[in-house]
This record gives sequence, structure tokens and C-alpha cells, in this order.
Amino acid sequence: MPGEEQEQEQERFEDYLALDRYLESLETGGTPRLPEMLTPVQARIYRMAALFRSASPEAAEPRPEFAAALQARLLQEQHLPQPAPSRPAPAPRRPGARKPALLSRRVLLAGGTAAAASFVAGVAADRVIEATTANPPAAGTNPTTWNGESLVPADVPSQWFFVTTMAELGNEAVSFAAGAVVGYVLRSSSASTISGSNWEGGSQANSASQERIIALSAACTHMGCIVQWQHADHKFHCPCHGGLFTANGEADAASSKLYLRPLPQLETKIDQGKVYVRVPTRS
Amino acid sequence: MSMLNGKMRSRAGTQGHPADPGETRAMEVKQNAQPGQDVLGNDHIQAEEFQVFYQQNLGSIYRYVYSKVGNREEAEDITSQIFMKAVHGIDSGRGTEAIQKWLFQVARTTIADYWRARYRLTTSSLEELLDAGWEGPAGAEPASYRSQPAERVQYLLSALPEHYRQVLTCRFLFNLSVKETALSMGLSEANVKVLQFRALKRAAEIDDIFEKTPSS
Repeated sequence: MPGEEQEQEQERFEDYLALDRYLESLETGGTPRLPEMLTPVQARIYRMAALFRSASPEAAEPRPEFAAALQARLLQEQHLPQPAPSRPAPAPRRPGARKPALLSRRVLLAGGTAAAASFVAGVAADRVIEATTANPPAAGTNPTTWNGESLVPADVPSQWFFVTTMAELGNEAVSFAAGAVVGYVLRSSSASTISGSNWEGGSQANSASQERIIALSAACTHMGCIVQWQHADHKFHCPCHGGLFTANGEADAASSKLYLRPLPQLETKIDQGKVYVRVPTRS
Repeated sequence: MSMLNGKMRSRAGTQGHPADPGETRAMEVKQNAQPGQDVLGNDHIQAEEFQVFYQQNLGSIYRYVYSKVGNREEAEDITSQIFMKAVHGIDSGRGTEAIQKWLFQVARTTIADYWRARYRLTTSSLEELLDAGWEGPAGAEPASYRSQPAERVQYLLSALPEHYRQVLTCRFLFNLSVKETALSMGLSEANVKVLQFRALKRAAEIDDIFEKTPSS
């Protein structure tokens, strides 16, 4: 191919070797060995190499471990106090409310939802592992267990977290975030299979109807994505894989994701018209 | 009894920012946080939205970054940086398309910063790199061609002469070594190194022409 030799830029044998060294370094990993001095033509060649590398099957998708680890880091990042000066004076925080204990979220999720536990399997290595243990749900010992899915085992230190008042709780789900626990509080008709109504200490119907206040974890029991309450159909929708839950947290028949376990429930209590949810105490 | 529809609030202090009607969410939000209520109750809405955003955009951002750096380690590193920036900088009051464009812009500047820091190239070489379109002019929006690396590769392969296409397919799509490629194509290893160089060079020329063609 004699014509190709007469390029605008003289090709040297060193150029071929340098390129191949670069390709080699991309393959083996670590810092790619990019030559320091590149002409514009050469720079385009190296750019093409990177582009073509991305066409190989191994480059098509991020590693699941990487995706999960980054997701966990982002979650932590979102729950940290923001230094933005334009925010209004922050509301008084709970004493000791510092970094959310992501691990305790894993404790909670491991209790009833093994799939969701894998979501936080990639906890960033720089998080200090706390000495909480992963317990299965204490079904039976927990007096207010519904569907056998009590999210907070009886022996995990916990506290009552205020969410909203009965007066303000309408017919929609109200979201709350207590550290690593994210969920919803809503009125629930007792016409479902949930047994053991335990509202204000007994199965007392309020004057209007047989109704209870329930709290559900917002972590989809498939892979832990946060489900979203839709006013239109009174259901919880998972944005990730089409999971769908009824207002009672059970898997909805219309869900495109089959065999979903119900959303875990948390204990609620009503005290002087205020709705509380039992969540793990941050240490 | 005051019921308030949940509205998307943008961060960074633009408190009165109204939500797009299409983005109004039917979730009630506590407007008056009572003492003892976790102020995270408000931020939580954006946390959910951002997680969705992350899931939807991780793949395309990762592939885009990979197509610029050519290896997994740097692709993961830079992708992490991009989303960590996005977590705080995202303006959820804007529409989806605008946010995605913004995200790609963050990607481009992050890649450029990364090169500056990592490679410590002399100023002139760096300028040449950037000039050569490695990163693209700042502020330019990635046309679909640019932000879909897979399509670009397919197009370029189809536009190359047979022997160039073959060597790039062996070396990049099949990940064959130089030795394996040489065996497969009946060439010497030195020939393969020359061929892959020229194939990439020709691909770069085609790519430039395609980009500058008004119809693209």
C-alpha cells in the first residue's frame, strides 16, 4: 500500500509501538499509558482507540458491584446535612443525629427481604461497620407483627419517630425519612388479610370505619429501590422494575414484577393525635 | 386541615421554584416541620427522585465515559465523580431532558478535569487533545451521534475498508491479542500493529467528516 506511506504526517515505527503499549495498558488495567506528547492527528487516533474499546462486550454495562456501591454512597451523601448557606435555619435535629447508620438499614432489610439486602451489599468500605447484628424478624415475640414482617426486630434499640398528626393525615400516604429508614404512613382499611389490629392498644374501630394507621418501608422488596405513592391509583410504584404494591403494602396482582414479598411494616402508635413510627435509634 | 400536594423543590436555595405540572407528585409534604421532626422529611423526596435518576442514567453515562477513557477503572472512577457532583447540583425543578443534557455536560468537564489532573500533560499537548475534539468544545451539546458510542462504532466499522474493519473487529470487538489477530488474519505481529494504527487513523478521519457534515 505505497500510497498510504505518503501521509501528511510521517509515521514512525515508534508510533505503532506506542499505540500498542497504550492498548495493552487499557487491557491490563491500572493507569493507561498515554504518551505525553501527541500531535492532533495522534490524539484523534488515541481517542478512536478508547471509543472502540468501549464497543467490546465487557464495556457495555457497569459492573453490578460498582453500580450498587455507588448507589449506596449516593444514598449516604443525600442524607448528610448540606452545607448550602441558602437553606433556612435547619429545624432542630434529634440529639446524636449524625451520619445515618446505613448498616442498620441492611439489618432491617435483611430481616424480611433478602433481595433488598443485596442492594446495600456494596456498602462503601470507608463506612465504619457498627456492631449491630442482622436478626431475622422476631415474629411472635413482637406483639404487633403483621404478615410476620416486622421490620425492626424487638432487640434493636429503637425510638418513636414523629411523622404527622391524625388531623393532617388524609387519604394519601405521607412519606418520612428517619435516618436510613424511608417509608410511608397511611390509613389502611382493615379489610385486607392483615390481622392483629393494634391501634391505640386494641382493636378499636374509630368512629368512622374499621381503620388503622400503618407504616410501610419504602424499599421495594425486589432490589431496594424507593417505591413511590401514586395518588391516581392509591398504590406504591417501583420505578426500577415495575414492582407494584397495594396501599397495604402487599404485592399487587397487576405488578409486572412477580413474586414480590410485601413491603415490611413498622410499628405505629397514636399519642395525643400524633402518629409515630418505631425506627432504629442511631448510635 | 390543610392538605398540600407534594412539589419538587430545587436545591440551592431557590425556594419558590414552582414544579412543572407534569412533575407534581401526589405526596403530602409537611410544610411546617414540628420540633423534633426530622428535617430530612423534605429532602427525602429528592432522595427518591435522584435514585430513580441514577438508575436511569448510570448506563448511558458509564458507556459515554468509557468511550472516552477506554478502560473500566477510569470509567468507574469518573462515573462516580459525576454522580457525586450531580447529587448536590441537580436542579429537580427542570424537565428530564434538560437535566440529562446538564448531566452530560458535567460528564464532559469531569473528564477534562480528570485528564488535566491525572496525566499532567504539557499545556500544549493538552490543548491539542482538547482541540482535537477529545472532549469537544465546552458547552457544546452532544448530538445523539456523539453520546451513543455503540452507534458510532457500528457506523465507523461499516465505513472502513475491509482490512481495517477486520483488524479493529479482532482487536476491539473480540479482544484478541496482537498474536491471535496475526494468526487470524495471516499477518505478522508487526503488520498488525501497523494496521491497527492506520485503521484507527482512518476511522478518526471518517468520524471527523461525519461530524462536520451538516446533515449529521
